[in-house]
Amino acid sequence: MNFLLVALGFAAPTAAFLPLLAAPFIGFFGKPMHGAFANVGLCFVVFALTFGVFKSPGGGLIHADQLGMIFGALTSFVALSTSLTNIGFVRSEFSRMSVRRWRVYHAMCQVMLGTTILGLYADNIGMLWVAVEGATISATLGVSLPRTATALEAGWKYFVLGGVGIALALFGTMLTYLAAQPVLGPGLKAMSFIALEVNAAHLDGSLMTLAFVFLLFGYGTKSALVPLHGWLPDAYAEGPIPLTATLSGLMLNVALLALLRFRHLMQANFLAHGGALRPGPFLDSLGLASLLLVAFSLWRRRDARRFFGFSSIENSGIAVFAFGVGGPVAIFAGLLHMILHSLVKSALFQALTRAAAMRGGAGPHQYGFSHLRGMMASNKFLAWLLVGCVFFLTGLPPSGLFATEFLIISQTIQRVPILSLPLGAGLLLCAIAIIRQAGPLGFAPPPQNTRPAKAGRLLGFVYLHLALVVTLAFAMPPLLFAALSNIAMGLQ
Amino acid sequence: MIYPLAHLLGGLVLLCAFSLLSQRRLAAMISIYQAEALILSAAAAWQGYAQHEFNLYLTSAITLVIKAGIAPIALRRIVHNFNFFRAVETVMPVGLSMILGVGLIGVAVLVVLPTTMNSVGLTREDLAISLSVVLLGLLVMTTRRNAVSQVIGFLSTENGLVLAAIGMPGMPFVAELSVALLVLMAFMVVGVFLLRIREHFDTLDLSGIEEIERRGR
Repeated sequence: MNFLLVALGFAAPTAAFLPLLAAPFIGFFGKPMHGAFANVGLCFVVFALTFGVFKSPGGGLIHADQLGMIFGALTSFVALSTSLTNIGFVRSEFSRMSVRRWRVYHAMCQVMLGTTILGLYADNIGMLWVAVEGATISATLGVSLPRTATALEAGWKYFVLGGVGIALALFGTMLTYLAAQPVLGPGLKAMSFIALEVNAAHLDGSLMTLAFVFLLFGYGTKSALVPLHGWLPDAYAEGPIPLTATLSGLMLNVALLALLRFRHLMQANFLAHGGALRPGPFLDSLGLASLLLVAFSLWRRRDARRFFGFSSIENSGIAVFAFGVGGPVAIFAGLLHMILHSLVKSALFQALTRAAAMRGGAGPHQYGFSHLRGMMASNKFLAWLLVGCVFFLTGLPPSGLFATEFLIISQTIQRVPILSLPLGAGLLLCAIAIIRQAGPLGFAPPPQNTRPAKAGRLLGFVYLHLALVVTLAFAMPPLLFAALSNIAMGLQ
Repeated sequence: MIYPLAHLLGGLVLLCAFSLLSQRRLAAMISIYQAEALILSAAAAWQGYAQHEFNLYLTSAITLVIKAGIAPIALRRIVHNFNFFRAVETVMPVGLSMILGVGLIGVAVLVVLPTTMNSVGLTREDLAISLSVVLLGLLVMTTRRNAVSQVIGFLSTENGLVLAAIGMPGMPFVAELSVALLVLMAFMVVGVFLLRIREHFDTLDLSGIEEIERRGR
């Protein structure tokens, strides 16, 4: 019992470092299936640990605040369900990669999970940066794993864009330290989010503004905001899906939360007349640009993975827009939007992988809409899951995204009325595009020679995502509601 | 005593970053990068001496061994193995990119100096120089088509970041951050290597390469 309590005390660092420490072992030993099972086991342990973090948030460099705790739990839940469907993915794709590449693949899954959780729990802007950097490296390795010409090019593109983004973010991090150092003194304290938030009013405002511009473009690259989004559709389309789409989708959250926290520093400094500019317009313009670009480019996509990659850009844009609008309600809605979108999108990609496997493997050209349409003829269970995910993504009720988008629009009308029209038009166009383009996945005449197939037992787990999306929005547990409102009040 | 030497070293790094823009041959770019890393290592050591900070000596040693030693050797290897001795393609004329470079340095100085009124003089000017180096590195990346020269641009950007970090008074984690940057750099160099192999053999499967070796190119 005592041992358990001690272990619980280190829940936060353990949850972040256990996957990172386990990665080399997975990377050098074992068969592909062993790796898949090891992944499930590790994800389960991390899942349990992230709930332990609610009891003991840790201290020092890795000190989870409420925001980190909630998103940590979300991350580990999605990672667990991904690792379960990953077993089916490995089984169906077994022959496509060599044993050594499968090992690297599984190791990178763990590195991605560990760095994501590290980024969420870090209370140090340097540590956050290291986590984002590690995640970028593991994602690039993952994208280039299939070793096809297009995959290598996508990996290189990701690397160059991500590398530049990371460089800018580091410069911004150092400038933040420089802005805080006169108030908080040299040393670790000037890099701690908690200390920075307390003293936000006394930071050097003009330096903070300069830092924020770098951080916005740095972490904005990682959260795929237009015009820095170029890497994302390629990365989603070329790499092995569970790693490069589902797990690295969780990394978007880390970058978005980093933007939210730095935005809060700026806003608090601005309100206290510390000399910083108001961060809202920066975030609003990038968010709106992302939404509108996606609203027009969704119509021209033929490949399902690229299509849903663009939809991730849209949702990053919506969240950033909500943060830019500001005020407790909009931030609450933005955070909830991020949570729900992660759940829907990860479920969707899991269903999509299974669908492609049913139609003959997840090779380079297996994800075209024309190839995947009419899943009803293949398997009803899977098809309804797919249709449900696509429908939820549009943001029509009963999807939880309806509630969050409604809140964001109403807050926009209240606070920045001039932006409400483009926002509404963008959301509407995206919803129509998703129904028109992705609707045929379920109900269309299937390609010739389509036979019914088995869906696999573990897929039932994915329905849980959709149930959560409805419950979390329309019957929110009071504890979560209290926590999220508390966070939103603190970060407004 | 601290000021002039720190400024001299920073200025030399900036000079190297700027002359990367004017070079059209990869071998020359690598040499300039090597010189830049050497000067950076000296600057880190000097700051370590001035601030009495062990971490900065460590940064200096890492920079000396890896950035000024191993990385240029690896890059030269790539250039040699893949016969890149000819001039690399540039997107715009060298003169134009140098004018842009001067503009970027001006922007960096104009942005940094007014915003850092409250900081120590040394930090201010160091920051202006390192921001210029960062921006120049990005400019090199955008004006070159060849992957190796893009990597050199990125490495120069990294040098600018390390230069900024060592100038920050009492910044923790400087050595750790520079190691993290090194990891990124290592992956980039390996990435170029893999990309080149692909372009030459149309596959990255080593079995394929062995096959080609056996048959003779």
